[in-house]
Amino acid sequence: MSDNIIEVKNFTKKFGEFTAVDNISFNVEQGTIFAFLGPNGAGKSTTINTLCTIQDKTLGELRINGNDVTKQKDKVRNEIGIVFQETTLDGKLTVEENLKLHCDFYHVPHNDVMGRIDFVLELVDIENWRKAPVDSLSGGMKRRVEIARGLVHFPKVLFLDEPTTGLDPQTRANVWDYIQRLQKEKNITIFLTTHYMEEAEICNKVAIIDHGRIVAHDTPHNLKKKYTNTTVKIKTSHRNGLIEYLGKYSIRYIQEAELVVIFATKVEDILEIISLFKEIIEDIEINNGTLNDVFLAITGKEIRA
Amino acid sequence: MIRPIKAIVVRNLIKLARDKMRLFFTLFMSAMFLFIFSFVTKSMVTGLQNPMSYLISGIIIMTVFQTSLNNSMNILEDISTGFMKEILVAPIKRWQIAIGQVLSSALIAVFQGLIIVIAGLFMGLSLDFIHAVLMIIIMCIVGLTFSSLGLLLASITKESTKFQLLISIIAIPLTFLSGAYIPVMAIPGILSWIVYLNPLTYTTALFRYVTLHMDTLSNETLVKTGVAFNINGFIITPFLGALLVIFMGIVFFVWCVKRFSNADFTRVKIFKHRHR
Repeated sequence: MSDNIIEVKNFTKKFGEFTAVDNISFNVEQGTIFAFLGPNGAGKSTTINTLCTIQDKTLGELRINGNDVTKQKDKVRNEIGIVFQETTLDGKLTVEENLKLHCDFYHVPHNDVMGRIDFVLELVDIENWRKAPVDSLSGGMKRRVEIARGLVHFPKVLFLDEPTTGLDPQTRANVWDYIQRLQKEKNITIFLTTHYMEEAEICNKVAIIDHGRIVAHDTPHNLKKKYTNTTVKIKTSHRNGLIEYLGKYSIRYIQEAELVVIFATKVEDILEIISLFKEIIEDIEINNGTLNDVFLAITGKEIRA
Repeated sequence: MIRPIKAIVVRNLIKLARDKMRLFFTLFMSAMFLFIFSFVTKSMVTGLQNPMSYLISGIIIMTVFQTSLNNSMNILEDISTGFMKEILVAPIKRWQIAIGQVLSSALIAVFQGLIIVIAGLFMGLSLDFIHAVLMIIIMCIVGLTFSSLGLLLASITKESTKFQLLISIIAIPLTFLSGAYIPVMAIPGILSWIVYLNPLTYTTALFRYVTLHMDTLSNETLVKTGVAFNINGFIITPFLGALLVIFMGIVFFVWCVKRFSNADFTRVKIFKHRHR
């Protein structure tokens, strides 16, 4: 399987008696955005830390680009970039000094260093701050510097652990722009964890993790199709005909005050209903299922943010 | 191989240069010792031709010792600010990090020692070229030895409060039972075994031997002035003392590199600097 850049087989991580990650397996295809979605404490960071070689596994096999993360640490480290949940920049150094230090650690050829720094700083729109001490930057800018730093050695895989936690909505949107731009322009594989459902929607593949287990793993579209319904809320004063019709075709519905809420699984059903009853429909609201509904359907609870 | 080590050293030096407070306080502490002790001990040290130089050379070596022991604080700062994670996931070996750390810490300590040397020159310390070179070599040995010890303690404690506690528990007896401020002759017999096990004793002695140009004196006089030691008839000359210190330094260094390489820093409590 040469196009799977990340391969995880039967990975288990225990801390003493506590099992943080319980026998999970998954693959990530080269050049895609993969999201690990789950509440805090589900085992997302533990998995990332193990893939990033800073924590040892208890059991299982984890490979990045064919290299074992416990046996070939340095090879793996050369091929990955990481943006941690918390800031890991040196606040006393300037943006440029932080990046240069990183280049020294990752053996970026001396002649390429400045060119690469220019390139990544431009990518995240922060060229004007290169001489500024990191401590003087805002949280959003620090995050951008970290993304730039994670890229400056041209990794094959970029790990982002909760890349947008604590950022304001606008900065969050920007960070997402950079992430998507990266994937398109550089064909980098991006592995991220998040507990924001909206963010997982943009990814190619999503794995939902809860209590250390992967409970679902598919494209956001398929997950929603499989686990959620589209709800159609229809306001009408002549509901009898509609209810009779729904009963006849055994389409699930509930009555809510003056509304009829229909849970449809097929698009054709919805279109059929609308065309049949358009005369009596006073108002209509159609909602697609969200990943939150998927999470709710699978685990029986709302995501704990 | 060399590049990451150099990068770590350069980074630590840049950080020191930017940390004006730290720079000021270490110099201030040495200056304080220099002045206060020069008044207090003048009366205590008798039978020496040059009590002031005797004292200054003790203070120089103490400065190097204190600074190099304390310098590993920055490793703990790196843990608490999260920067350690960036170092740990880089494709470099732990021993490279440890060497970079020890080198920069020793370099900073020697640099601060040199500042006291310069101050000492105005207070009656006399030096020629050969003695100056010897002095710097001794300062480097002391710096490397105690930077290694510092890193060892830092990788054992992994926490700045514990580290500082441990440092003072270790540094205070080592300092006062080394002959640097209180002459070895004045230390009661019960404590003398600590004096003889203390690497600082020999470095202080060696340093005085060099700075005070004692190379012409007989072993007997050296023992009297506290520069050589007579342990039950066995004379430890300054030269033998130097070998002892180098040996202890190598032990500390190997031990600290090993300990640092195997330390698990991922499970250490760190302040979560969330992005805001």
